[in-house]
Amino acid sequence: MDTAITLIQIALGAALINNFVLHYFVGICPFLGVSRRVDTAFGMGCAVTFVISIAALLSWVFTYFILRPAAPVPTWVWRVCGGDPRTTVDLSVLSYVMYIFVIASSVQFVELYVRKFFPYLYKSFGVFLPLITTNCAILFACLEIMKRLQDPDRLWGLHEALTLAVGGGLGFTIAIVLMAGIREELDMCDVPKPLVGAGIGLITAGILAMAFMGFTGVDKGIENAINLLLR
Amino acid sequence: MLTTVTMITAAVVLALLAVATGYVLGWANRAFRVDVDPQVEAILDALPSANCGGCGFTGCSDYAEAVARGEAGVGLCAPGGAGCAKRLAEIMGVEVTERLPYRAVVHCAAHYPQRLQRTPYEGEPTCAAANLVAGVQGCTYGCLGFGDCVRACNYDAIGVVDGLATVDYRSCVGCKACARVCPRNIITMVPFKAERMLVVACSNQDMGPDVKAVCELGCIGCKGCSRRADRMEMDGNLPVIDYDRYGSAGDFQVALEKCPRASLVFVGKPSQEDLAAVADEHLPDEIRADFKTTVDDTEWRG
Repeated sequence: MDTAITLIQIALGAALINNFVLHYFVGICPFLGVSRRVDTAFGMGCAVTFVISIAALLSWVFTYFILRPAAPVPTWVWRVCGGDPRTTVDLSVLSYVMYIFVIASSVQFVELYVRKFFPYLYKSFGVFLPLITTNCAILFACLEIMKRLQDPDRLWGLHEALTLAVGGGLGFTIAIVLMAGIREELDMCDVPKPLVGAGIGLITAGILAMAFMGFTGVDKGIENAINLLLR
Repeated sequence: MLTTVTMITAAVVLALLAVATGYVLGWANRAFRVDVDPQVEAILDALPSANCGGCGFTGCSDYAEAVARGEAGVGLCAPGGAGCAKRLAEIMGVEVTERLPYRAVVHCAAHYPQRLQRTPYEGEPTCAAANLVAGVQGCTYGCLGFGDCVRACNYDAIGVVDGLATVDYRSCVGCKACARVCPRNIITMVPFKAERMLVVACSNQDMGPDVKAVCELGCIGCKGCSRRADRMEMDGNLPVIDYDRYGSAGDFQVALEKCPRASLVFVGKPSQEDLAAVADEHLPDEIRADFKTTVDDTEWRG
């Protein structure tokens, strides 16, 4: 029961309350670049959710076994190399290199796989996949997961990491589809000439972000409500 | 903190990871390989990669696939022309069927002074927008002169001269881009059997008096030409030239002489007489922009 509550909180937190795009301002590039039409925006959202889940899975595995302080693999390597077994090995310095490496190669792998076995899927979001490789929203998810794997007493499990990733991807999809819907309507509007294009897009994104700020603190409220219900 | 411990383990772990990933990706590259038809690649190489869409496909790669499947002819690429068609035919092992170069023709001959009943138009300066507004100019069929076709052309082959879209046949490759965007549909593609072709330079389907009220040049539908030239027919109030049977311009000599308006005109590359007429005009060696007379029509697109 506690696990379920934690997972709901993590998912809601990533999707709405601490929305990647509108709260942390990561992944702005596709958010502004691919939000001209609702259907392509939705495709981009799905592709990001997909890649972010795979990246989260891999980053959890790599962080758990390699990057966190006293992780098993480097400790084993150190022992094999004949080092002092009492030293704590900490490879956190490698986190950025490792995550970029992992994301890039997994996207490459997924692209090859999809191209071979799902050619139609490849045609519909083949363009987005390489673009997402360097998307900061995905690196952000990896770093967020790494943050939760530092304290040896309260390590995040794989299910928690995956929930964060799917929730975050969902939040990204919600944000980009909302933005695309607004921008489709915006095409019909009489926008002041100096603001046409990027200007009005950024202003819209800012207002949208402010609206999402309204969710701040809702996580605490949900926690209290659940506790009240269970008591 | 970067200690010897970290450095050594980092180096070993990264090296192991690199080898492992390289192996997995290399295996995946071979296991998941998709065979691309070598013919498609060869055809794509032979095409000019203009991606103009003149062939009717979305881009050069789409056309290449269609050619390789045998669904499309080898001679559809307008920018590539005859040379490209020949190379595609070699790749596909088929004969090139003779194809005439199609070129864009504007079916309107009136410049601003000849068009009557014009009112000032202050709206969005595009033909598509102006076409939605009634009363911009008297003739509801003719060229509006806001240059949608000019913006559509990738080859700098069409320009607006005193309100009339004019094709430069030295640059036109026949990609149809202008014909597609013209909101009044007055640009059509004509097979150029000769350097200069006779065309009906009017699109006005109204009766004579109505045409005379809005244009000094437009066709009044007198049927004079179609009665005298058997290769012309009337379609409503406009004559149509049958280009399938178009032989030489001489066939239309009588019709040309009898036309009371100026609706039948020759278009195409400049004729010998045209060149001779301007031969003695001196062109300056170097043309400098004069800021007093040069109009800056660049637009800021955010």
